[in-house]
Amino acid sequence: MAKKEHREKRLKFSTQRNIFTYTILIFGVILSLVPFVWMISTSLMNLGEALGTAFFPSEIHFENYTEAWRRADFTEYFVNSILITIITLVGQLTFSILAAYAFARMEFPGRDLIFSVMLSTMMIPAMVFTIPNFLTVTWLGRISPINWINNWPSLTIPFMGSVFSIFMLKQFFAQVPDELYDAAQMDGAGHFRFLIQVVLPLSKAPLMVILVLSFIGTWNSLAWPMLVTNTPDWRPISVGLMSFVTEAGQEINLTMAGAFITILPILIIYFFTQKQFTESIARSGLKG
Amino acid sequence: MENKNSLKDIFTGRSGRKIKEVITAYAFIAPATILIFIFGIFPVGFAIYVSLHKWRIKRGDFIHLRNYVNAIGNLAYVVVFFLGIGALIGMYFFVKEILKMARENDEKPWLTIIPGIVFAATTVAFFRWFYSALPEVLGIADKLRGLERTQNVFMQLLREALRSETVLPTWRTFLWLFLASLVVGGVVYRLWRNKRTMTYQSNFALAFLALGAGVGLIYYTFERVGAAYTEAFETGTDPGIWPQFISITAGVILLALAWILWSRAPKRDSKGGFLLHILAAAALLVGAWLLIAEIPTIVASGDKDLWEGLKVTVFFSLGTVPWQLAIGLFLAVLLFQKVPGSNLFRILYFIPYVTPGIASAAVFQQMFSNRQSAPVNMFLSFLGMKPQQWLFEPRGIMTILGDTLSFNVPNWAAGPSLALMVIIIHNIWTYVGYDTVIYLAGLGNISKEMTDSAEVDGANRWQVFRHIIFPLLSPTTYFLSLIAIIGTFKAFNTIWIFRSNLALGTTDTFSISIFIEFFEKLRYGYASALAFILFGIIIFLSFINNKTQGSKVFYG
Repeated sequence: MAKKEHREKRLKFSTQRNIFTYTILIFGVILSLVPFVWMISTSLMNLGEALGTAFFPSEIHFENYTEAWRRADFTEYFVNSILITIITLVGQLTFSILAAYAFARMEFPGRDLIFSVMLSTMMIPAMVFTIPNFLTVTWLGRISPINWINNWPSLTIPFMGSVFSIFMLKQFFAQVPDELYDAAQMDGAGHFRFLIQVVLPLSKAPLMVILVLSFIGTWNSLAWPMLVTNTPDWRPISVGLMSFVTEAGQEINLTMAGAFITILPILIIYFFTQKQFTESIARSGLKG
Repeated sequence: MENKNSLKDIFTGRSGRKIKEVITAYAFIAPATILIFIFGIFPVGFAIYVSLHKWRIKRGDFIHLRNYVNAIGNLAYVVVFFLGIGALIGMYFFVKEILKMARENDEKPWLTIIPGIVFAATTVAFFRWFYSALPEVLGIADKLRGLERTQNVFMQLLREALRSETVLPTWRTFLWLFLASLVVGGVVYRLWRNKRTMTYQSNFALAFLALGAGVGLIYYTFERVGAAYTEAFETGTDPGIWPQFISITAGVILLALAWILWSRAPKRDSKGGFLLHILAAAALLVGAWLLIAEIPTIVASGDKDLWEGLKVTVFFSLGTVPWQLAIGLFLAVLLFQKVPGSNLFRILYFIPYVTPGIASAAVFQQMFSNRQSAPVNMFLSFLGMKPQQWLFEPRGIMTILGDTLSFNVPNWAAGPSLALMVIIIHNIWTYVGYDTVIYLAGLGNISKEMTDSAEVDGANRWQVFRHIIFPLLSPTTYFLSLIAIIGTFKAFNTIWIFRSNLALGTTDTFSISIFIEFFEKLRYGYASALAFILFGIIIFLSFINNKTQGSKVFYG
C-alpha cells in the first residue's frame, strides 16, 4: 500500500520534472532560434513593414531575395567563395592526409619533434601571423610570374597546410589496426596503396568533419580576404555580405535576405552531416 | 659475386627497406610541412624582425625595443629581463635532466659537452645568417621592378642577395660551424659508444642555447636601459627606468615567492605551516602593493588605446566565458536525462555555432538596432523600459542602470559599454550550443555506477551533481574555459561587423586595435609588437588557468 503510494508520488514527481525540463529546453531553443525566425520573416517583408513593429509579414515578398542577390552581386561572390573553398580543400586534404598518415603510421627520425613544433603553432594568435604573412604574400606576388594579391594563391595556398586537420586525421589513422597493414603488405601493397585503398575508405567520418570545418572556416574568414583583395574579383562571400550590409544600410529586408542567402549553404551541409559532425566535435573536444 | 653498389640493392634487404620507408615518410610530410613552415613558423621570426623596426608599408630603421616601449612603457625592459631569467631557469632544468640521467645510468657524459657547445653555436650562427639574409632577400622584389619575372632572373638576384657582403660572412661562419658540429658529433659518438650519446649531446646543446639566450637577453636589457638613460640625459630628463625596474621586478619576485610558499605550506595547522602562510601573505601583500603602486605610471607612459583595449577584452572575457559555460552545463545536464527528443534539441542548439558569424552578427545588429521598432527595443517597451541605443551606446551598463534608478555611478564602476554587451550576448548565443555538446560528451563518460551508488546512499540530486558529477567534469570545464578565454582574446570577425564609430571605441578589443594599427594606420612594426604582447598575455592566461584550475582538475 505504502509502496504503491510512494511509486505514484515518484511518478508524479517525474512528470513534473519532465514538464520543467521541457519548458527550459524549449525556452532555450526559442532563444537560439529567434534570430533566425526574425531574419527570415523580415527578409520577406516590404521595407515599411520591416522597419515597423510587425513580427510576421502581412504579404510575402520573395522578390527581396532576387533584389538582394542582384544588388549585392552575390553570383560573383558565391562563385569566388566556392572556388576558394574547393582549391583550399583539395590542397589541404591531400597534404594533410599524406602528412597525417606518415606521422601516425611511419617511423622516421625527427617525427615527434616536427609534430610537436607544428602543434605548438596552434597556440599562437592569428594576429601574429597576419602581418608577416601579408608581407610574405606580397613579396611572393612580386617575384613570381602570377599575381598573389587579388588572386587565388593568396586566399588558398596559406591555408593548405593545416595543423588542425593533420592532428585530427593522425588521431584517427593511428587507430587503424596493424593487422590490416600486415595483410596489405603480404599482398604486395606499399604505404601509398594501403593509405588509398584501406585507410581512406575507413576514415569517412573525420574527413567529412574536416571538409565541413574548412568549409565553414573559408565561408567565415574576413580579416585575411580584406587584406589581400581590394577588388571584388576574388573577394569571398563574407566580404561581399559585409559591404552589402554597409551599402544597403537601412533596407533591412534586403540585408536580412542577404544574410539568409549566406547562411543557407552552411545550414544545408550541417543538417546532412550533423551526426558525424557533433560526434567528432565532441570527441575532439575531449581529447583536448 | 655480391654487387653492393647497385642502387637497387640499397632499397632491398632489411636496412634498405628502412631507408626507403624514411624517404617515403619525408616525401609524405614534405608538402604540408613546407607550407606550415612558410605560413606558420617562419612568420613568428619574421614578426619579431618587423616588430623591432620602424615599418610603415616599407621597412625603416632598426629601432630596438622602441615599439614595445611605446606600447607598454618601461615594462618592456622588465619583460625582456624576465625572458632572460626564464631562459636561465630553462637551462637549470636541462642540466638537472642531464644529471638525473647520468646518475640513473651511472655514467660520466662530460665529453658530450663539446658537441653540445658546437651545436648551440651552430644554431646561433644559423639565426644570425637568417636575420642578415632576410632584408637582402626581401629587397629582391624591389630590384625586380620593371624586369621580366622569369626564374633565371630571380635565381640570379637570389644568388646576388645571398652573396652580398653582409650575408656571405655569416653564411661562412654557419657553414664552418655546421661542418664542425658534424665532425665533433661524429667523433664523440665514436669515442663514447652509448645509445644515450645523442640525447646527452642535444640536451647539452639546449642547455647552452638557453644559457646564451638568458645571458644575451639580460645583457641586452641593461644595454638598452643604459641607452635610454644616455638619450634622456641629452634632453635633460630623467627616464626613471631603474626605480620602476627594481620595484616591478621585486613585486613579481615577491608574488612568485608567495605562490611557492603558499603551495609548499603543509595543509594542517602545524606551527611551521602557519608561519609559512604568514610569510606568504606578507610577500603577497608587499609584492602586490609594489605592483599596484607602479601600474598607473606604466599605464600613463604606455599606449592609452592598448590599455583601453585590454580593459574591453577583459570585460568581454568575463562577460562571456562564465555565463556560456554555466548555461551550456545546465542544458547538457537537462538533455542528459534522456528525455525523448534530446537528440533534436542537441541539433537545434548547435545551429548558432555553425552559422557564419558575419551573417548572424548582421542579424543581431538589426535586432539590437537603436530604432524604437527594433525587436529588442520593442521587448523593452513591452516590459515598460526605455528603448536603448545599443550598438551606438558608449556609456557603461552600470551608468545606464544608475541613470534609470536616478543614482550616480562613478566612472571607474561604469562596466562594459552597452555596445559591448550586445557583442557579449551574441558571443554567448553562438557558443552555448558548442559547450552543451562537449559537456554532453563529458557526461557520457561518467560511469553510471558512481552516481547510482551515491543515490542509494541517500544523496539528493543536487548533492550528486555538486559532489560527483561536477568534479568529474572538471577536465571538460578546464578545456572549455581555456578555449573560450583564448577565443575571446582572438575574436575579430563579429566585433569588426558590430563596430560603430558612435560607440567611441568601447568595443575595440585588443585584436581589433592591432588590426586598426595595421590595416588603417599602416604601422606594421608597432602592430607586430602589439601582436606579440597579445601572444604574451594569452600564454600568461593559459599558464594562470593551468596553475589555478589545472591543479584541481580531477581525472576520475
